[in-house]
Amino acid sequence: MNIRTENNNDELTMFIEGRLDTTTAPSLEAEISQNIEGIKTLILDFESLEYISSAGLRVLLSAQKKMNKQGKLLIRNVNEDVRSVLDMTGFTSILTIE
Amino acid sequence: MTMIIQLSVVGILPVIISLFLYLIDKKTKFSKLNYVTKQIIYGLVFGGLAILGTEFGVDLQGASANARDASVLIAGLLFGAPAGIISGLIGGIERYFATAWGAGEYTQLACTISTIVAGFTGAILRKYMFDDKKPSCLYALAIGLITEVFHMLMIFFTNMNDIDVAFSFVQKCAAPMICVNGLSVLLAVFVIELVGEKKRIGSKQKQITTEFTKWLLMTVLFSFIVISSFTIVLQVNIAEKDIDQLLSQGITDVKLDVTSVSDEDMLSVTHQIANAYEKASDIEELETQYNVSEINIVDEKGIITASTDERYLSFDMSEGEQSAEFLVLLNDKTEYVSELKPMTFDPAVYRKYAGVALKDGGFIQVGYSTTRIQQDIGSTISKVIRNRHIGKTGFVLVINEDYQLMTMDNGEEFNITDMPDISSLQKGERFTATVNGEESFLMAEETEGYYILSILPETEAFFSRNIAIYVTIFMEILAFVGMFILVYFMAKIIVIDNIMKINKSLSIITSGNLDETVDVRSNEEFASLSDDINYTVSTLKNYIAEATNRINKALEFSRNIQHSAMPTVFPPYPNRDDFAIYAQMNTAKEVGGDFYDFYLLGRNHLVFLIADVSGKGIPAAMFMMRAKTLIKSYAETGIDVNEIVQMANEKLCEDNDAEMFVTAWIAKINLQTGIMSYANAGHNPPLIKTADHSYTYLHSKPGFVLGGMGGVHYQKNELVLSKGDTVFLYTDGVTEAMNQAKELYGETRLEQVLSTCQDKEVEEVCASVKKDVDLFSDGAPQADDITMLCLQYKGVGEMKEFIRKADIATIPEATQFVEQQLLEVGLQKNIVQQFDIAIDEIVSNICHYAYPENDGKYVLQLLINHSRKRIQLTFIDYGSPFNPLEVKDPDVTAKAEDRDAGGLGIFMVKKLMDTVEYHYDQANILTIEKGYE
Repeated sequence: MNIRTENNNDELTMFIEGRLDTTTAPSLEAEISQNIEGIKTLILDFESLEYISSAGLRVLLSAQKKMNKQGKLLIRNVNEDVRSVLDMTGFTSILTIE
Repeated sequence: MTMIIQLSVVGILPVIISLFLYLIDKKTKFSKLNYVTKQIIYGLVFGGLAILGTEFGVDLQGASANARDASVLIAGLLFGAPAGIISGLIGGIERYFATAWGAGEYTQLACTISTIVAGFTGAILRKYMFDDKKPSCLYALAIGLITEVFHMLMIFFTNMNDIDVAFSFVQKCAAPMICVNGLSVLLAVFVIELVGEKKRIGSKQKQITTEFTKWLLMTVLFSFIVISSFTIVLQVNIAEKDIDQLLSQGITDVKLDVTSVSDEDMLSVTHQIANAYEKASDIEELETQYNVSEINIVDEKGIITASTDERYLSFDMSEGEQSAEFLVLLNDKTEYVSELKPMTFDPAVYRKYAGVALKDGGFIQVGYSTTRIQQDIGSTISKVIRNRHIGKTGFVLVINEDYQLMTMDNGEEFNITDMPDISSLQKGERFTATVNGEESFLMAEETEGYYILSILPETEAFFSRNIAIYVTIFMEILAFVGMFILVYFMAKIIVIDNIMKINKSLSIITSGNLDETVDVRSNEEFASLSDDINYTVSTLKNYIAEATNRINKALEFSRNIQHSAMPTVFPPYPNRDDFAIYAQMNTAKEVGGDFYDFYLLGRNHLVFLIADVSGKGIPAAMFMMRAKTLIKSYAETGIDVNEIVQMANEKLCEDNDAEMFVTAWIAKINLQTGIMSYANAGHNPPLIKTADHSYTYLHSKPGFVLGGMGGVHYQKNELVLSKGDTVFLYTDGVTEAMNQAKELYGETRLEQVLSTCQDKEVEEVCASVKKDVDLFSDGAPQADDITMLCLQYKGVGEMKEFIRKADIATIPEATQFVEQQLLEVGLQKNIVQQFDIAIDEIVSNICHYAYPENDGKYVLQLLINHSRKRIQLTFIDYGSPFNPLEVKDPDVTAKAEDRDAGGLGIFMVKKLMDTVEYHYDQANILTIEKGYE
């Protein structure tokens, strides 16, 4: 998994490429916590995300909870497969997906 | 003594011969001869024996005793009616002609008749009274005795004009002949009964008739004894009276003779004295001259005018009773004699008077003393008595007052001993004494100073009495025997035969044929009984029909239990193509206890079994249910097959009051590897077909039956099935199916029919076997359930296995391993990714939770089934048992703040895969499966 970050004032966009699973989720979580200070809008771009497992979902949930306090979390460019996982797990109802 | 030994030999000979013949018939080829030949041989042998009896009888003072009749009777009673008749004719006819060379002529006709009659008697009694079987000992004895009684009676009847001789014959030989023949027949029956099987009158008939014949016999015996006693008493009385009459008649006759001699003599002396007196002689002189005791001259007025005894002078004759008798001389009588009597004047003195009328009127009376009379008549008296006979052999003797016998003028001498005191006897009283050494009856009477003795020997006295008793009793015996037989047969015909008829019908009815009717209508009572029985049977028939209906329902019910408990839908797993299974059960008319069963354990293990409960009916069905449930519940825990049967056995042994048991053959197959483990609890070995071999028996050491005994251990066997290998299970209903000839189907024939099923599908294999069994039994009723189960292992695609240390760092490697395979198959990427997610979730779970010490490993097995287009992944870890499927699904509708990430992973797996299954078998085994297009 590769993460490319674009920081624009208080808006942080993370482009996630590859698989967000047990082995990779901890690095995304670390990336978010390093850069989240003062961020009002966190955008996760899933255009290049192959799939997401429960470990990834757990990161999304904790990110959502954090951003609820300081701003908002936007999920962008969700492909069909990932969306079906998010639907299945009820994450579409707590996440803001553009 | 010698006579007894001789008689024993004579009587024993027929016994030995009959034993010999009997043994020959039992032990040698003789028994194979036909009936007629055998009867002729028996007849000839016993006829010969009868001739031997005639020729070599035991001499009994002129009569001859033998066992001729016994030989003939034995032939008829023991060896058959024709044999009896043949031997009777031989023995009888030979006896008739045997007189020509020395046999007794006197009993010729009697012996001939009785021998022939004995033959017919034995034959008829055997045929009609004993139902062509041997009589009992008691009857044998009776028949022997009675036949001889008849023989004796025949001697009388054939010699009626010479009854004395006949009687002497009978008296001599009756007892020995009756005993010898009776005992001979008895012994023959007894000996054969000892060595042979008891084949007397049928037991059932015996019971009915025994009581009856017992009472009949007792009644007849009682009547016989009463009548015989009466006859004896009557005959004795008649005989006594006859004896008295004979004796007294003799005395009277002799007395008359003696008196008339003496009267004549005395008168003649008196006439001489009267003549002398009229020539004016002195009466005193005359008294002396004629040696008389007294002379009286009586005048016309009856007064004694002169007497030698002065005391009598002037005595009026009319005053004395005795003297008055002489007054007849004053009228027309010229002479008169009185009896010898005691004198009125002096009773101690006996006087006999004779009177003669005198020419000048009056009469002269002369008195004689006893001595004077005897002096005159003594010489003539023996002449008087000599020709006197009492009966035939009796005679008369005279003794004087001193008991001295009168000497007989012909010199005959007599000798009487044991003489009682005659003077003390009453007149006409009979007494006994020994005359010339012979016991005799006597009677005595005094006359003219003598005692006249009439004598009759006892032998003659009782002759007619004895002959009457013999003949009467012999006749009575025959009459009562005839009566007994007549009543016996009447009762047999009227009662017992009808009872037997009814019994016969009843036994047909009780053996199950309720359509049989009883129809004995010979009299009203039996007709009514027949009607009652018929009515009862028809009522019973209705009840039975109802009960049968109920029982059939119960049987149907238990059959339903049996059937509903077993999987009957085939194919049972339509979406499995790694194995094929088929089973069928054809229940017998009465429900047996066969059952089969199979079930999957998880995805990869199949348990299948066949079993047979001992017994039939509802109890067997119930026991079968118990066994089946127990085995299944133990199988589902995942333990080895040997442990399944072992534990099921323990449970079945508890409370097994009915002492039932079940044989079972059970196997568990790992469908992935083809490894089949199996255990046998006393069941028939199954057959297995491999690629190389046709069906052969899969023998293994069979364990003990289930439910028989606790604490038994069972052996686990293993073998690896290859693709296409087939196992055929069956119960003994197949191998023990019977045809009309009661032959068993057998294991060889089963193996043969299966050899024609090499390439057949499981269902066809079962059908072929059933068809062959039906062909074999050819309509014979099916005795037991016929149950079969056929399993074919088809195998799965090649399985890939991946084993790593339980570390999340290995997850990419694992996903890559699977991805690579799946992409090769041409799976769409999104499907592959779903597997990736599943692998990620499951392996990470294992890595996180299975091994707290972080030292375990996990196994990933990948199976791609191309034909069914399905992917199967199995995750195995050896950590503590944990079923992830039991984790509660997360709430997917809660707000973010309320959410917990726990349980999401397995939840996703369940959503993404078609099936997710978990079971524990010494490891946590989680299998996921998903189809693809």
